[in-house]
Amino acid sequence: MKQGKDALTRREFATRAALGAVGVASDPAAAWSAFRRDGWPAGGPRQTPEEARKLSPQGLAEVENRYQAILAQYPDRFSDAQKADLRHVCLVTQQSLDRLRAYAVSNADQPALYLKPLVEREKKSNAPPNLKSAAPAPPGKPAANAPPEKP
Amino acid sequence: MLSADILYLPVSELSKRIQSRAVSPVDLTRAYLDRSEKLGPKLNAYARLTPEIALEQAQAAEKEIARGHYRGPLHGIPYAAKDLLAVKGVPTTWGAKPYENQVFDYDATVIENLRRAGAVLLGKAAMIELAGGMNYRFASASQGGATKNPWNTSCWSCGSSSGSGAIVAAGLAGFAIGTETWGSIICPAAYCGISGLRPTFGRVSRYGAMALSYSMDKIGPLARSAEDCAHIFAVIAGHDIKDQSTLPLDRAAFTYSPAFELSAKPLRAAWLENAWPKIDPHAEKPLAAAARSVRRLFPGTASAKLPDGPFEAAGGVIISVEGAAAFRDLIRSGRVAELADPLGQITGYVNEQIPGADYTRALQVRAILQRQMAELFDSFDVLVAASQPLGANAIDSNLETDLDFPDPLGGIGNLCGLPALSVPCGFTDQNLPVGLQFVGRAGDDLSVIRAARTFEQHTDWHRRHPKLA
Repeated sequence: MKQGKDALTRREFATRAALGAVGVASDPAAAWSAFRRDGWPAGGPRQTPEEARKLSPQGLAEVENRYQAILAQYPDRFSDAQKADLRHVCLVTQQSLDRLRAYAVSNADQPALYLKPLVEREKKSNAPPNLKSAAPAPPGKPAANAPPEKP
Repeated sequence: MLSADILYLPVSELSKRIQSRAVSPVDLTRAYLDRSEKLGPKLNAYARLTPEIALEQAQAAEKEIARGHYRGPLHGIPYAAKDLLAVKGVPTTWGAKPYENQVFDYDATVIENLRRAGAVLLGKAAMIELAGGMNYRFASASQGGATKNPWNTSCWSCGSSSGSGAIVAAGLAGFAIGTETWGSIICPAAYCGISGLRPTFGRVSRYGAMALSYSMDKIGPLARSAEDCAHIFAVIAGHDIKDQSTLPLDRAAFTYSPAFELSAKPLRAAWLENAWPKIDPHAEKPLAAAARSVRRLFPGTASAKLPDGPFEAAGGVIISVEGAAAFRDLIRSGRVAELADPLGQITGYVNEQIPGADYTRALQVRAILQRQMAELFDSFDVLVAASQPLGANAIDSNLETDLDFPDPLGGIGNLCGLPALSVPCGFTDQNLPVGLQFVGRAGDDLSVIRAARTFEQHTDWHRRHPKLA
């Protein structure tokens, strides 16, 4: 289906829907007041709103966005205590992400991927069959490199 | 009935008695089964015992050995496998309620390799649910409850290979198989006063093992000595066409004989100054003594420092994202709520939300770190540090608050897939074991085994065991 100029792609729609659901949280000041308002339950996570203050306003907004996005996606799944815990985990995760993002990497820094064994296997499977060394088929069975039988 | 002294022998000594037919594999299996039935439930060490399989395999081993067909050092030796390794027809619960009825119709490659070597499967070891893949706050994050430390049952055996550690320390099996994504072999080995090898990433096939982090999960042995770890590793290592992440044949396979060490070059060791920001006062004395032993055993031991960087954050992001992918169905279905731990019930939802760009950045950081560590290993063969900065914690500790300390060596070692071996090096003043770890260059598992074995040859900590009623 061809889309009109103003039509939303599926991704844009999802993004806007999520942002709409967390409109309050996109504002760092509002996000901070949400932390102050809700606080943490007694005996719950160790992070306090004071520790949340160590995050940048953008980081704090991201925490709140992530938290609200989860609630929007799974509206009926969490108790109040779990919601407080969720926000705590969002905060701890944000601290890790901020540390990671602060580390300088360049465009030329390739990610460490473990694909070499796969590449080697693909090379082998693409290689032409060695007809001379193919083992003869036992009586009544097709050779290993024989074309598949048609149904 | 065989005495506890026999049951606590290392594989290297048990195997000689089995080969010479001084000890019968069937008698040994029965003795371990009896002890496991008696003590296993007190420790929450097993997910389940497999007596039918064990006795069948033990009888087969006994007949073969009687015919003169001795397969090697694991022939007739009973072991336990962490309950995330598939065993055909036996429930494999991954330590978690949502999977309590899961049964596979095939064996994990590690189980198959051990069977070919003639080892005897006694049972499935208890573990932290999903190997901690959804995070956890309490040691009770396991289907059977918290696994108790055989040295002090009010303490934890550490996770996630919690049952594997307790089984070996309590003399319930000859050895056990565990897995590590971050700390799950090294920590139980340290807490339980046993030896544990985390192999180089890609040397042991994970086919048939629960996936938590596709690029960080590793399978390795927990045993009574570094030499035992080497013998077990030699059986389970190797390329596997069913696991595309295994290294090529010539780099994955491992052969071992203590004789290899006779002609080897002296090891260049370095004591890591910044592996732990702080050592618990109860563990200071044994660790200081261990450091002196290392400097005496490895002349020229230098001091070294780990590189600075957000390496723990990178490791955490990779595990979180890969774990969210591995357990996506569990999270989305809501069945994650059936997990025992309050943190485990919710963390997956957060991990699903981590941006792909951050995951890729973590992989970029990993590549930079791999180069930095390769440079460090140009100067040293092994890096040495405490396995943990303390003895076992109380079983009811809040792990999030009470064990809130950085672990850069665990982060770096696992992020780069480096081999490590933890050996016992003393006791705290509360009589809890303390561990020392040797970490090597990726692929150089032999050096960490040599270093750990050298330490054990000059100490007797690995020969001590708890008194259990």
